[in-house]
Amino acid sequence: MNCRATLLGGATLLALSAPAFAADTDVIIALNEELETVEPCMASQSNIGRVILQNISETLTELNTEDGSLMPRLAESWEDMGNGTWRFHLRPGVSFSDGSAFDAADVKHSIERTVSPDLTCEIGAKFFGGMTLTTAVVDDATIDITSDPAQPILPLLFSTLTIVPSETPMEFTRQPIGTGPYVLSEWNAGQNIILDRRDDYWGEAPVVTKATYLFRTDDAVRAAMVPAGEADIVPLINQNDATNPATDFAYPNSETTYLRLDSSKAPLNDIRIREAMNLAVDREAFLGTLVPADATLATHMTPPTALGADVDLGVPPYDPDRARALIEEAKAAGVPVDTEITLIGRLGNYPNVTEVLEALQQMFADVGLNVKLEMVEVAEWVEHYSKPFAAGDKPAMVSAMHDNNRGDPVFSMYFKYACDGLQSGICDEELDKLIADATAATGDARAEAWRAAFQKAHDLWADIFLFHMVGFSRVSERLDFKPTIATNSELQLSQIKFK
Amino acid sequence: MKKFLFKRAISSAISLLLLIVAVFFLSRLTGDPTDLYLPVDASQEARDNFRAINGLDQPLIVQFGRYVWDVLHLDFGDSIRRARPALEVVIEAFAWTLQLALITMFLVSLAAIILGSLAAFKVGGFFDRIATFFSLIGAAAPDFWVAIVAIVIFSLGLGWLPTSGTGTPLHWILPIAVLFIRPFGLILQVVRGSMINALSSAYVKTARAKGVTPKKQVFVHALRNGMLPVITVIGDQAAGMLNGAVIVETIFGFPGVGKLMIDSILQRDFSVILAAIMVTAIAIFLMNILIDLAYAALDPRIRY
Repeated sequence: MNCRATLLGGATLLALSAPAFAADTDVIIALNEELETVEPCMASQSNIGRVILQNISETLTELNTEDGSLMPRLAESWEDMGNGTWRFHLRPGVSFSDGSAFDAADVKHSIERTVSPDLTCEIGAKFFGGMTLTTAVVDDATIDITSDPAQPILPLLFSTLTIVPSETPMEFTRQPIGTGPYVLSEWNAGQNIILDRRDDYWGEAPVVTKATYLFRTDDAVRAAMVPAGEADIVPLINQNDATNPATDFAYPNSETTYLRLDSSKAPLNDIRIREAMNLAVDREAFLGTLVPADATLATHMTPPTALGADVDLGVPPYDPDRARALIEEAKAAGVPVDTEITLIGRLGNYPNVTEVLEALQQMFADVGLNVKLEMVEVAEWVEHYSKPFAAGDKPAMVSAMHDNNRGDPVFSMYFKYACDGLQSGICDEELDKLIADATAATGDARAEAWRAAFQKAHDLWADIFLFHMVGFSRVSERLDFKPTIATNSELQLSQIKFK
Repeated sequence: MKKFLFKRAISSAISLLLLIVAVFFLSRLTGDPTDLYLPVDASQEARDNFRAINGLDQPLIVQFGRYVWDVLHLDFGDSIRRARPALEVVIEAFAWTLQLALITMFLVSLAAIILGSLAAFKVGGFFDRIATFFSLIGAAAPDFWVAIVAIVIFSLGLGWLPTSGTGTPLHWILPIAVLFIRPFGLILQVVRGSMINALSSAYVKTARAKGVTPKKQVFVHALRNGMLPVITVIGDQAAGMLNGAVIVETIFGFPGVGKLMIDSILQRDFSVILAAIMVTAIAIFLMNILIDLAYAALDPRIRY
């Protein structure tokens, strides 16, 4: 009897433990943190974007991250009507996952919702701050969108704004409805999110039929889930775990690491000191040691694929002798070069950040500068990074990592370099004008204008640029999928194929 | 008994109130959640608007008054990050922690009491030496290391157990095993020490002289008397688990209250911090009452 009971218990346990039947076309994706919301207007946050963006909720336009071009998505075409107005011609025959038809009224509502002060959507705050958007529905398939001030890149901005049905309430939703190829079937808080493929999607049916998203904070565990057969894609693994060439991929993640110098305080207000600090850094020494070998040396704030970022600024050479000479020259001119400069780093900002900053501190010390390193938590770091700078009257530099995956420097340059830019450590009238000109320019003139702005920021030695970073993903060998620069913010299930 | 429970409830309520006041003001000393919630490029207008929506633009004392008023109406506020009632978020997470703690502490108590008693029966014997050796190693082993090694061996190496997650009974084995080790080592040592005292007492010697079997000497005569300090330590360990097993929850992807609390503190999600502290404090208060009742049940001299 005891034996039978034991066998029965064992069989029950096995039955309960067996994974539910999974189709060959199902995938499991392990994210590095739990989603706190599945609200489409928050899809600019990496993990929310990886679940929602273009899977559940689509946008009017879509950025091709390979060549920087803009592709149609829910809008088939668009045209500049002048005076800040753009006309979007919407795709016909599109329906939401709740069965309702997609039309211009949905676009109008989505815009109003995203920029509504009652919701504080990240997409609204991040991409549509400082402008007023007005809409005019021409007909069901046509909408005019006007921005004040005029935005030459308005169609690009609409590659970020997720479209929801006009019935969506003006509060965060836990049941996102979209036009995308997938529908949210289950959300078990803290455990998983499940998306199922829609049968009535307007576009080509993707191969993946079901996607389950799991949340694992621990890097080692997340990486172990692929060889253990518990996950197919881990978008973010630690570089130290990326040891298997068959499954592990490095991809440019559109992040640029740099030190932001507060040039309003002595001695950082002296251009010789800023140049000396740039020459004191042996950037090559970091590659393959503390920073992944696949990272590249940065010369400006955006990834090299951004508009106008093809200007050759040249990586500052490692020249400690010249750096010492510049500091001596500044000292002779009365610059207080011995003043302590605080280097503020953010714990966990990127792998090995503490070690990188310790090495930089030593490099600055080697040329005679007095730099003190302070590593702080993210909340405290933000107070140093954004104005008014928490360091007060003391000279400081902040280690930061900036993400621009939208292909246009406008998302970076104003905030980082304009006199009124929230994270700008420099104030230069000419640079302000160059940024304003580039922001308003269109076509080839826009690229040229951004090149000029990049050159000016470089000539001012406004920052100490370090690296265009890479991220590491682990992908099961059964999948035909290679992470790209877009993987940092989205993970389109329709791009996943099986071998 | 009723008077005792009433007194305990009053004293716990006062403690809880002081705790809430302290946590309310201390958590706000860490700063404003606006900078963490909005993108770094957000305009000042968006920041001001966020503060107004969440009542963060009000003086601290006004925020506190409003919070107390809401709590008195059983409204613990909304989680800023999750846009959901904070209490709902906390209860969801606490249910996981409670299950983990109850199962683990039951197994730990059972195993430690049996093995500790047997070890005490023949001090210095082979079994005692083995039990002491492993319990000391267990009490000293760091959770995160044991967890990672267990995953490497049982999930990646042998493929017997899933690395992490919550889907099936098998998913519970590694987290419980890792949580088990440290309190097991500690409680086993306390049981052993307490039982050595009890077994050397006059009434056990008398029982032995009367020919009572060793099993009865240990588990009937000595155990009940040796249990008082053990109950105290079990309560202490259980309280630690009810506050959340942060490391185990993080490594094994268990959505418990410990990780929720840490995340909420880092994100300055004040409503969740306060709701979590309140829920766990009430749970610990209830558990302490149970421990007091257990004292009375074990020792007839204790009466409330």
